[in-house]
Amino acid sequence: MIGMIFILTWCTVGMIRIIANLPKDDRKRFFLSLVNPKIMLKNIRDIFCDCLFHVKLWKRNRLLGYMHSSIAFGWFMLIVIGHIEVFFYAPHRAKLLYFPIFFRYFMAEDDSTMGGAFFFFLMDFFLLVVLSGIALAIVKRVHSRFFGMRRTTNPSFMDLVGLYSLWSIFPLRLFAEGFTADISGGSFLTESLNHVFHAFLGNHMNMLPTWWAYSLALGIFFCALPFTRYMHIPTEILLIPLRNAGVRIRHPRKGYAEAEVYACPSCGVCIDACPMGVMKTHIKDTTVYLNRQLRRHNETRIEEISDKCLLCGKCTAVCPVGVEGDRLRIAQRSARKYNISPDYSCIDTDILKKEASFRAPASGKVLYFAGCMTALTPQIRKSVESVLTRCGTDYEFMDRDGGICCGRPMLMAGRFDAAEEMIAKNTDIILGSGADTLLLSCPICYRIFRENYNLGKMRIVHHTEYFAELIGSGTIGMLHGSDRYVFHDPCELGRGCGIYDEPRAVLSAAGELVEAEKHHRESICCGGSLGSLTLGFGKRQAMTENALHNLTAASPDSIVTACPLCLSTFHRYADRPVMDIAEVVDRNMIPADSNDIDD
Amino acid sequence: MKENIVIIGGGIAGLEAAGQLIRLGYSPIIVEKQDHLGGHVAEWHCLFPDMTPASDVVSRLTENVSEANIFVNTEILFINHLKDSYNVMLSNGISIVTRIILFTTGFRLFDASKKEEYGYGVYDQVITNRDLEQWFSTGNDDRVNSRELNAVGFVHCVGSRDEKAGNGQCSKVCCITAVKQAIEMKQRFPEAQVYCFYMDLRMFGKKYEDFYISAQRDYGVRFIRGRVSEVSENIEGKVIVKAEDTLAGKPVKVTLDLLVLMAGIVCNPDCTKVASMIPLQMDSDGFLKSRDNIMDITGSSRSGIFYAGACTGAKTVPETLAEARSAALDIHNYITSSRI
Repeated sequence: MIGMIFILTWCTVGMIRIIANLPKDDRKRFFLSLVNPKIMLKNIRDIFCDCLFHVKLWKRNRLLGYMHSSIAFGWFMLIVIGHIEVFFYAPHRAKLLYFPIFFRYFMAEDDSTMGGAFFFFLMDFFLLVVLSGIALAIVKRVHSRFFGMRRTTNPSFMDLVGLYSLWSIFPLRLFAEGFTADISGGSFLTESLNHVFHAFLGNHMNMLPTWWAYSLALGIFFCALPFTRYMHIPTEILLIPLRNAGVRIRHPRKGYAEAEVYACPSCGVCIDACPMGVMKTHIKDTTVYLNRQLRRHNETRIEEISDKCLLCGKCTAVCPVGVEGDRLRIAQRSARKYNISPDYSCIDTDILKKEASFRAPASGKVLYFAGCMTALTPQIRKSVESVLTRCGTDYEFMDRDGGICCGRPMLMAGRFDAAEEMIAKNTDIILGSGADTLLLSCPICYRIFRENYNLGKMRIVHHTEYFAELIGSGTIGMLHGSDRYVFHDPCELGRGCGIYDEPRAVLSAAGELVEAEKHHRESICCGGSLGSLTLGFGKRQAMTENALHNLTAASPDSIVTACPLCLSTFHRYADRPVMDIAEVVDRNMIPADSNDIDD
Repeated sequence: MKENIVIIGGGIAGLEAAGQLIRLGYSPIIVEKQDHLGGHVAEWHCLFPDMTPASDVVSRLTENVSEANIFVNTEILFINHLKDSYNVMLSNGISIVTRIILFTTGFRLFDASKKEEYGYGVYDQVITNRDLEQWFSTGNDDRVNSRELNAVGFVHCVGSRDEKAGNGQCSKVCCITAVKQAIEMKQRFPEAQVYCFYMDLRMFGKKYEDFYISAQRDYGVRFIRGRVSEVSENIEGKVIVKAEDTLAGKPVKVTLDLLVLMAGIVCNPDCTKVASMIPLQMDSDGFLKSRDNIMDITGSSRSGIFYAGACTGAKTVPETLAEARSAALDIHNYITSSRI
């Protein structure tokens, strides 16, 4: 069979590609993890859950989940049962890879295979499952809204080749097996189809062309596979153990990044998730298209897409295979060459330490780092200081009189060396303060402090966490008002650091908490993100208005957030008050041990 | 003459146009949403460049319209488009059928609290240009501590020429207003240091340049080129302004007792609302769109609808008055030509 040669060719090509994908740096770690039984179990579980059952997709959208898992799992079971059949009835052929696939063609029903009715039933059943999945896929292509997707990916030419050959494989298999069902045996589906065929096509002459067509479709699919989105099937099996081994993106194109790019199934879930999607012109700037351009090595478009992104991380959060759209883009930015690189060596940390006039180290002392965005939203700074003072907290204000940037903006721009310099300077100042808690108001700072700073034993908290603790421990009481609040999850605090419950606990103590239409992991970026290097204000405005529309779905009295950048962005276009959570706490707090303080 | 002419807005443009129309023999109707006539100018203390008291201007204009029908505290509920006229329904229950509507809806001052980094509404010592004028007139404002006023700062272009603030336009009059207010502060507090933080100074009008030179030479007002980056407060309750002096190429930090934000001019949202009833087109700068920005600034794309004053963009008082007279003449020509 010609199809078989194709398949074997593909196998070799695929293997070489996968081996080439292996990262050099992390290879050792990867191989070590493969023999670690704990990680091995996790690998197997993840591969089953993600590749076959598409559990993540099920959770998001049942219809979409069924569609994908029916095709993947159904096909997988067809292969497994096919092999079992061969193993049982023709053990001498079991070593031939193609044999199970065309089992029905080679085998004639005789006394020894009669007992296979059970397997025949299973084969037919799973074939039906796959066919139902294919039917849904065809509906989805024509009418994606039926699946709750506003938009779906526009397939490339090779994707279409793969798509149509994939669609035709299973109906052809059904026909082929239907024709031979009276010879090789079959079950409810193939047998009945066989009777239908016999009714108007009397002989077995049609058998051969359909088997040929089936094997041809199969051959085309596997042959085209490396050049289509279906490459995600083998790649994902590699990506999962890599991820579980702790391998991360180190190089913009090679290694883990490449595995992610090829593991992208082009499902298009990220298109609807992208906050830029409010404008049709930005659809081609989503992660699925970045992956496509990366496969094609289209440098101009790669640069454009990477620079435009807000880095809100929502595509990463919703991706069913775990492609990290934001990190991939940062990695692309890091490959850029700049003619001028900033020099921060002239910044004298001793002067800054002196300006901050740190007192002697004390246990329980809090060091407050407001950050530069908070300097532009003085209300937050004022509220945090007011709460700290009224609680009697021993605190020092690190950047009251100016400080150094946390480094996150540079990190987001892919300029790691510049960020490292700032990290080193800030670390020096912070360690010199003798405090044991670092309090932050800006989630942008918070994330880099958590991920990239090494501050020893010092605790790093965002003010939402800190206030939630103060309320939880009874240090401050809250006046429960009748105001309805909606909380906007800032990208860096929510998806970036996983802080979702603390702000909600604080707001529930202050009044009635309502949820936005999309919240938690699905929260929509305010549009003000400094992640984007190229988006202008006009375009951001549409995104902000869309995000506000999402927030006001439950008609709250005010919008509360915990990020100075979100605050000032929303403030620009909101039709109702926008506050930081610190303002809410400051307004509603009752210090527990001091009744004499009047507010 | 029986012809009804509805003038929306009783600011200086509406008053001047009404006065001229009365002189031409018509009886215009002025609809004003506030309880007084004169609009923004009525809230001002004195006007550049000759320090003319604003109240004189408003009272002279008001005298001229004593014969007009004036509805204060009245808003437009809706406007219906009839065959060749309009039915204007007012909030006091009166409906007017007219062929001619003159928009003198003016502007609104940019909400300075939207530039939170400047601290309006956050720090007590931060006020706007309007707040300062009111203090000049009334002397009542707790935020201005006249016993201890050693340093005052003016921030230009607050909500003007600022894409981030949603207004890319130059508000035209704030540069010279800041110069005027800085001089007035110096006249009241000769010992105080007065700073102006500007992007660039646009001294385009008659005698403006002299006024600016005089502020520097005769009054010692200090002009610092550079935008203010942030404003904070120190323990003594003074405001600290951080800016970059782009001429010296150095960052500057100034401690002040009072900071005045020169809030810019944006289109009046009420004007946008009324315009949408007809509907009238808005120009790309957010103001009403004239039929032609050179040849016919007071005309609209619809017959019988005229504009005057700041509803088509930021304007000075004399420009507004000239436009109001021009609009009155346009209306007169419109009526006489349609009669033939």
